[in-house]
Order: sequence, then C-alpha cells, then structure tokens
Amino acid sequence: MPDLTPLYALIAQLLPFDCLQARFMQQAMTGLLLLSPMAAAMGIMVVNFRMAFFSDAISHSAFAGVALGLLFSVDPNWTMPAFGLCVGLGIMILQRHSSLSSDTVIGVFFSAMVAFGLAIVSRDRSLARDLQRFLYGDILTISDLQILCLLVLFLVFMTFQVLSYNHLLYIGLNPTLAQAHRVRVAAHQYIFAGLLSLIVMFAVQAVGVLLVTAMLIVPAAAARNVARSAGSMFWWALLVSISSAIIGLIVSAQDWARTATGATIILVACCWFIVSLAVCSLRREQMSA
Amino acid sequence: MAATDPIPHYQPVAAAIRFENVTVERGGISILDRVSASVPMGSCTAIIGPNGAGKTTLLLALLKEISYQGTIRFNDSDHVPRIGYVPQRLSFDRGMPLTVNEFLSMGFQKKPLWFGITSHLKKLTQDALAQVKAEHLAGRKIGALSGGEMQRVLLALALCQKPDLLILDEPSAGVDFRGELIFCELLDSLRHQNKYTQLMVSHDLATVTHHATHVICLNRKVAAEGPPQQTLTDDTLTAIFGMHMGLVNSSSMPDNRGVCSAPCCQRPPDA
Repeated sequence: MPDLTPLYALIAQLLPFDCLQARFMQQAMTGLLLLSPMAAAMGIMVVNFRMAFFSDAISHSAFAGVALGLLFSVDPNWTMPAFGLCVGLGIMILQRHSSLSSDTVIGVFFSAMVAFGLAIVSRDRSLARDLQRFLYGDILTISDLQILCLLVLFLVFMTFQVLSYNHLLYIGLNPTLAQAHRVRVAAHQYIFAGLLSLIVMFAVQAVGVLLVTAMLIVPAAAARNVARSAGSMFWWALLVSISSAIIGLIVSAQDWARTATGATIILVACCWFIVSLAVCSLRREQMSA
Repeated sequence: MAATDPIPHYQPVAAAIRFENVTVERGGISILDRVSASVPMGSCTAIIGPNGAGKTTLLLALLKEISYQGTIRFNDSDHVPRIGYVPQRLSFDRGMPLTVNEFLSMGFQKKPLWFGITSHLKKLTQDALAQVKAEHLAGRKIGALSGGEMQRVLLALALCQKPDLLILDEPSAGVDFRGELIFCELLDSLRHQNKYTQLMVSHDLATVTHHATHVICLNRKVAAEGPPQQTLTDDTLTAIFGMHMGLVNSSSMPDNRGVCSAPCCQRPPDA
C-alpha cells in the first residue's frame, strides 16, 4: 500500500492549525477533502431532481450492510458499501421497470433494509454498540486504506462528472425528452445510482446515517439560492461543502467546542444556507425596487 | 367485390413512419389494438382522438419508451431518423437555476456546463431561438418562463437536433388563443423551411383541420386515416368521439387547405 504520509504533511502545511498536527486529524481532513466535493456535486443532482429520499434509503441500508458483515464475520467496512451499491442499483432497476411511483419503490426498500438490520442486531445485544458508530458517524477513525478507496472513487467520480454532468441535467429534467434526443438514459442512470450509493456509504462513515442526506443537500440548497445558472451552482456548492468540512473539523477539535465532527460540519453548512437565504431575499428586494 | 368498408383506407406513397399492427397492453387492458397507419414523408400528420384513446401511448411506443407488439418502421427501414421531440409539458423544479442557453446546450456540449458554454454552441442556440422568435429569452431561467415561452424553448431544443421527424405532444395545450395562433403559424413556416416530417398528437380539432395534411383518427384502433377533408367527416367524428362534433364541415374544405374554426382562420383577410 502506498505511503500517504507526504499527503498528510502537505495538508498540515496548507492548514497550519494546532489541531491538525495529529496524524488522525490529518487523515480525517484528507478524507473530508475527498468526500465533500463529491457530496456537493452529487447533491446538485439530488436537490434538482428531488432524490433526497433515494439517498436516505441508501444511507439506511448501512444498518443492514453492517449487520450482514457482523453476521458473517466480514469487515463491515466492506459489506456496507457493497450492500449499499446493491440497494442503489436495485432501486434503480425496480424504478425503471415497474409501474409503481418512485416514492413507493424507495419506501419499500427503505423499510425492508431498516427492518432487516434491526432484526439481525436484535439477536445479539453486543452488536448494538457497533451500530452506534454508524448512526453518528466517526471520520476520526478513518484508515489509510479507506482514504485510498476514497481517492479511487474520487477519480472515477470526477471523470464521470466531467463526461456526464450535462447529460445528467438533461435526464433529470425529463428522461423521455433526453432519450428522444439521443442521450443514453439507462447507462447514465445506473452509473449515477451506483456512484451515489458509494458516496452515501462513505459519507455515512463521516457524518452518520442521520446526517448523510444533509451532507448532500445543504450545500446544494445553499448554492441554489445564490446561483444564477446551473454552471455557477456547481462552484457554489463546492465552495460551501469544502469550507464547511474544513471549518467543521477544526471547530469540533477546539477545546471550547468538543462537538461531534459530523454534526459540526452540517451545522456550518446550515449557517451557509442561512446566509444564502439572506442573499436571495436581498436580491429579490433589489429586483422589485 | 369486397364489401363496402366504412373506414376510408389511405396508402401514401412514401411513408416516414409505418405502424404495423402495434398493440400495447397494460395490466391486461388493451390500450392500443392492432394499430396500422402511416405518416407520409414531409407531411404534417395529426393523431386525433378522445382522452384515453391511446394517442400519447402511440407516441411513447414510437419513442421506444414503452414496449409494444407489432412493428414500427421508419422510411421503410429499421433505421431510426433524427427525432426532435416537444413534450406536452415539462414538470421540473421551477426554482432550479438553469438558463435557457444552458438548457439548449446541455445535450450538445461535451464540456461540463460549469466551464461555461462554448461560443459555437452559443451561436447555435441563438439561431434556434431566433427561429422560434424567442431570442430575448436566452439569459432567462427556465423556471421563470410562461407556458407559451416554455413551449417555444422546447421547440427550439427540438430544432437544435436538426430533426428529420418532429414530434409534438398536444402543442396547443396550456397556451392561450393568441399564443396558439402564433405557435401554429410558426410550426407551419418552420416545416416549409426545414422540410421535416411533423407528427403531432392533438384533441383540438380546430388546430388539426387547419394545419394537418394527414390525419389518423384513433380510438384504441384506427378509425380513419387520410387527408383531413376525407377523414374528418361527421360519421368518423361521431364514431370516435361518441357524439356529433359539429365543428368541421368537410364539404366546405377546398383541396389544398381546410376551412375551420382555428384561430388562424379568424383573422381578417388583409393580415
């Protein structure tokens, strides 16, 4: 496995804060810097195409994924993303091939996943403690191997975004229209669902099941308030997401705060959202004046 | 000699689309029942029929959005022509920041929109907007467009495809009287200019009689097919709509153009 020490040293140099001198903090920061741009870019699609419920369902399948790993004594860090990927693709297959509305399809998957996870965990009380880690998230325990996986995912994801951002917008607006105008809808939808599932699973490790949707949605929602075009929305979402991750991690490590990292990151992003609302209403007043 | 057939059959020479025994069933209910019809090359063909007649279903089968039995052939081959599609309406999040320019370029530009729109595409979209007389909308957000403006932008998007076949789903729905007049005339002049085949679904007989050169009357089956003056007879209309329409006087229609109650026909002669 390649040594990531130079990368951590670079982060410590770029962000010369006391709290970032510890290696686990440098690892956490690296993980967040890889995860937050992906969450921002995915969040744009999730917000514009009202897929929040989809990402919620995948994040809740984390329980079942972890439970499966514990049941078969496989590392939950592997079973969780693998299971999330299966759920994401499963929902997409059912959505494309059944006449049920997408809400209903996702709702069925959602409850099945949660029930399955709870059923397995309820057999063994000691498992419940392990699951808490996934409920609240814990970016501070991220390993080098996980960071490497994130790095690979980041490269794949960014390639996909560069190649398909425009077509994804098209499909999100109206799949029939996109299909008629020669966009390969099915392929895009499956790749999108697969990548979204993997990102959600990594985000579960960072901010927990309860806050994962917020990590996707809040930066994109703030960007939507400020942006005047789909192009600029991307950059705004990126700015909000990355700055929230950096500020959130640093604040959570301060003696006066000592808060959970995931929750702090989301709180910072929510502050951005409030600022964006103010900008939006100011702009509206200027327009009407 | 064959028995008199009440349904006038029409066999055009060159067909842009030929539906052969197209059947669609959903949950055991037949929506389209062995539909066989043709869309002549270069024509403006209208599919008319009451609600639930399967008009939109036939379009969706054509666009390969739903599965069907039977065959749909293009230009008497299996090669699908370039299609420009104008949906009835686009349900999307109106607060979404997407400008008309971005909307028109996103299907063509390889570079992601966050790096801006290339100057080549800017010109292309501007030309398309000029064709539908909507240049002023380029910088607007699509969520801020009115029904009629959105329809024109959707038409511009379809024209950007340089279509051989333009498909419109209920082009007169949700547009006011004046808007419809302008849109109808625009469609006519664009068809003459770009020489594509136009296929539209409509329940608005007034629009059909004025603009269509070929009509397919549909009510789960093909009730009649042919030029408007031959197909839109009292008998056919009563058969498919289940009541006397009283809208079209087929005997008063000259060979080349129908006289109808469409808004375009109500203008003063000097206009």
